[in-house]
Amino acid sequence: MPTSTTAAGSNSDLVTRLNSPDAEVQLKALRELKNRIIGNRTKKLSFVKLGLVPAVAAILASKAQAQAQAQAQPQPDHDSNLLVQSAAVLGSFACGFDAGARAVLDAGACPNLFLLLSHPDDKVVDAGARSLRMIYQSNMAPKCDFLQDKNMEFLLSLLNSDNENVTGLGASIVIHSCETTAEKKALCHAGVLKKLISLLEGSPSQRDNSLESLATIMKSNVEAVSEFVGCESGRALSSVIELTKDRYPRTRFLASMCLIAVRNTSSCYLQDIGIKTKLVHLLLELHEDPGQVGDEAPFAFSSLISHKVDLQKLALEANAIDKLYNHLQKNRLNPKRFQGILLALADLCSKLESCRSRFLSLQALNLVSEALTHDSSDVRTAACICLRCVSRSIKNLCAGNFMNEMIVPPLVRLLDDPSTSVQVAALCAVGNIIVDFTTDRSLFLQCGGVKQLVQLSKSMDSTLRLNALWALRNLMCLADYMCKLGTFMELTASSLASLICDPEPFVQEQALALIRNLVDGCMESVELVFAEDDIILDAVGRQLQCVSRDEIWIQGLYVLSNVASGNEFHKEAVMHQLVPQADNGAQSFILKFLQSNESQLRIAAVWTIINLTFPSSPSACSRFVKLHNAGIVSQVKSMVNDPCPDVKLRVRTALGQFTTLNDGAT
Amino acid sequence: MSFFLSSTIDQAYHQLAQIEAELKAAMAGSKKIITREEWEKKLNDVKIKKEDMNKLVMNFLVTEGYVDAAEKFRKESGTEPDIDLATITDRMAVKKAVQCGNVEDAIEKVNDLNPEILDTNPQLFFHLQQQRLIELIRNGKVEEALEFAQEELAPRGEENQSFLEELERTVALLAFEDVSNCPVGELLDISQRLKTASEVNAAILTSQSHEKDPKLPSLLKMLIWAQNQLDEKAHYPRINDLSTARLEDPNV
Repeated sequence: MPTSTTAAGSNSDLVTRLNSPDAEVQLKALRELKNRIIGNRTKKLSFVKLGLVPAVAAILASKAQAQAQAQAQPQPDHDSNLLVQSAAVLGSFACGFDAGARAVLDAGACPNLFLLLSHPDDKVVDAGARSLRMIYQSNMAPKCDFLQDKNMEFLLSLLNSDNENVTGLGASIVIHSCETTAEKKALCHAGVLKKLISLLEGSPSQRDNSLESLATIMKSNVEAVSEFVGCESGRALSSVIELTKDRYPRTRFLASMCLIAVRNTSSCYLQDIGIKTKLVHLLLELHEDPGQVGDEAPFAFSSLISHKVDLQKLALEANAIDKLYNHLQKNRLNPKRFQGILLALADLCSKLESCRSRFLSLQALNLVSEALTHDSSDVRTAACICLRCVSRSIKNLCAGNFMNEMIVPPLVRLLDDPSTSVQVAALCAVGNIIVDFTTDRSLFLQCGGVKQLVQLSKSMDSTLRLNALWALRNLMCLADYMCKLGTFMELTASSLASLICDPEPFVQEQALALIRNLVDGCMESVELVFAEDDIILDAVGRQLQCVSRDEIWIQGLYVLSNVASGNEFHKEAVMHQLVPQADNGAQSFILKFLQSNESQLRIAAVWTIINLTFPSSPSACSRFVKLHNAGIVSQVKSMVNDPCPDVKLRVRTALGQFTTLNDGAT
Repeated sequence: MSFFLSSTIDQAYHQLAQIEAELKAAMAGSKKIITREEWEKKLNDVKIKKEDMNKLVMNFLVTEGYVDAAEKFRKESGTEPDIDLATITDRMAVKKAVQCGNVEDAIEKVNDLNPEILDTNPQLFFHLQQQRLIELIRNGKVEEALEFAQEELAPRGEENQSFLEELERTVALLAFEDVSNCPVGELLDISQRLKTASEVNAAILTSQSHEKDPKLPSLLKMLIWAQNQLDEKAHYPRINDLSTARLEDPNV
């Protein structure tokens, strides 16, 4: 194409001119380059590829170092211009473009840009500070280690500057680098928090920077929050509250972020209904903003209401579900906003049935179903998370409102998604939806759901294995025998046995829980654990002896308990696991469970004993004798006044059966 | 300026609320009549500082970019502008360049002023590039226009669906013989330039931590609103002509 040849021609010419010995030529080339890349990602990328960044960084380096050596002696005008233009070019490469920021950092430009901050010419200082700010707004920038004294001093010198761009840079560095509690504490001790509070009185941009930095430092940092709240007897806090009424949406947004950080970190502040309601309304209103604020508002809203039923109630009263749904209906939502709104709806529906029913009454499920096939993996993940929260509604699960053509086929397809986070989210949603109490699961089976789940249960990724087993566990819950058999055939006994011994404990737990549900119910299903020479039952027995985790023991014991509810053969197999044949003095492991501090474990253990000694079964008596000889009967008897009422109740049932068996024996 | 006006919007609200409260108390189902004398007495009771009025005028001159007038006003009234007057000159040069159709020049000027403005404001950047395309089409440079659209604007359209639609609308100009009568002809209108120019102006002001709209027009809007509210409750000397701010006798 002729256009591309001319473009390439002028581009390589640009390289030559940047490397020219003539400062005038360099200056013109820099300005031209700047005007071509600003606002234009495509150009930035192609010039990064052409290797222009190091050439620009070289101009900056030579002039900045010459200036530093001259120590504040005025330099020729064109040198200042070269500094300004080269800094602007580098800043623009880094602005909103990670590959560009990477290239600028690789070219070693940062130290030289920092030199510009002490230049006598304000224009140069501005250019250097702006450029560094762009770099520090990118994830690529290195973290500043505040725990080193000289870095902290430098940061304070930036924040104390009279130049607005320089204080802005200081704030950007805080926002970018501050992560650990130790760093946050160090910042407070060094007086950064106080300085930032004083910047709240500054210009609009200083105020915004200060709000964002304060929110960063106070997040999960109790000490900073109490210093902030106590500052000048609450004046800082009230001025932030006042800023939630500011005329600029960005300022209102950042002020609310700050207040959310205070609330979420220390539950003793900002608890009155007035401020809670105000934050809910403000954030919902900020969703209207067409720009960045509107994109970020749903995420802030989520952090406000997440895990807090009181705020979820307030949000429902403020019509939050309807409002979010209206936004969701708009065409061409950008992916970030789409994702945010879905996640906000998910949080709203995570606990309250009233929210879920409002959500479902709006037919919002249609939009979520569409989002399952969105181009962006973040949106697909968010749609799954939303579906998962809404499908916690038992009422709607019972009505089979999720097991339909609109939801199940696209959801099952996501189990095969290229992105792991989508797969995990889809598995969680599937896990809820297939807990279907009334209608049958045939649609899910027809879509090949079981095959997918089984495949994922063998994934290399342990999170996928965990969630796949979880879903299968829920699928097996109260399922009919044909469904169980089909799933079991797909899974195979040997791979179930190896999942019981998975390297990850949480996978082991789910595998055992799955088997527990599998063998619950009819006699035929109990038979399944005896496939391939009892491979599953043996694995369960081994886990109960070797592993030491209550969660795993509980699930393992319920497997035994369910098997023990079967026929004589089944009961004897469980006995075989419990009371070792060879009398080598080894104690039965069930004694340890009966003596455990975990009441759930004691219940499971007593249930197993109850099922083994059910008086009407033929060999109950001989099993009772064996249990007696192993010291198990006396242990159960000693538990007659167990502190846990549930355990006590089961122990009494067992003791009743023991008496019957004793009477029969004598 | 003799009309009811206060230096800050908050104060205006406050005073309005007071008047409203008084009216409510006085009202017994029918509209109250307030004579010119009473009204003027009330107005005279409202104390407005001359400096505040001056600030309002300065704010208007600065925001609208009347740099010479602002300079004169500063000397005459001693009111300090809240922004360096030199930056107004730069801003006006940008605005003027767009108004004259020299968009490329305007872009370079903005980038010299502050490279962040166009780098962090994709919509404004797109509108400037779109304006550049419009100017090329206006000047009959079809080849150049197509190349520019493909090279500079098409990638922005890929990044943003609404940009793509605007781009399509603009390129459609090329399809018509008589552009002045075509459905997208308004893009060639001078008002399109003014729209783009005011968008740039606002962005520069925001980047200078300055409000993008002058305060005066919103105060006038508030005056109209306040009068409309009062109309339901009282007959009073009204301002009908904002340019003279003359109090009209109530016609009862």
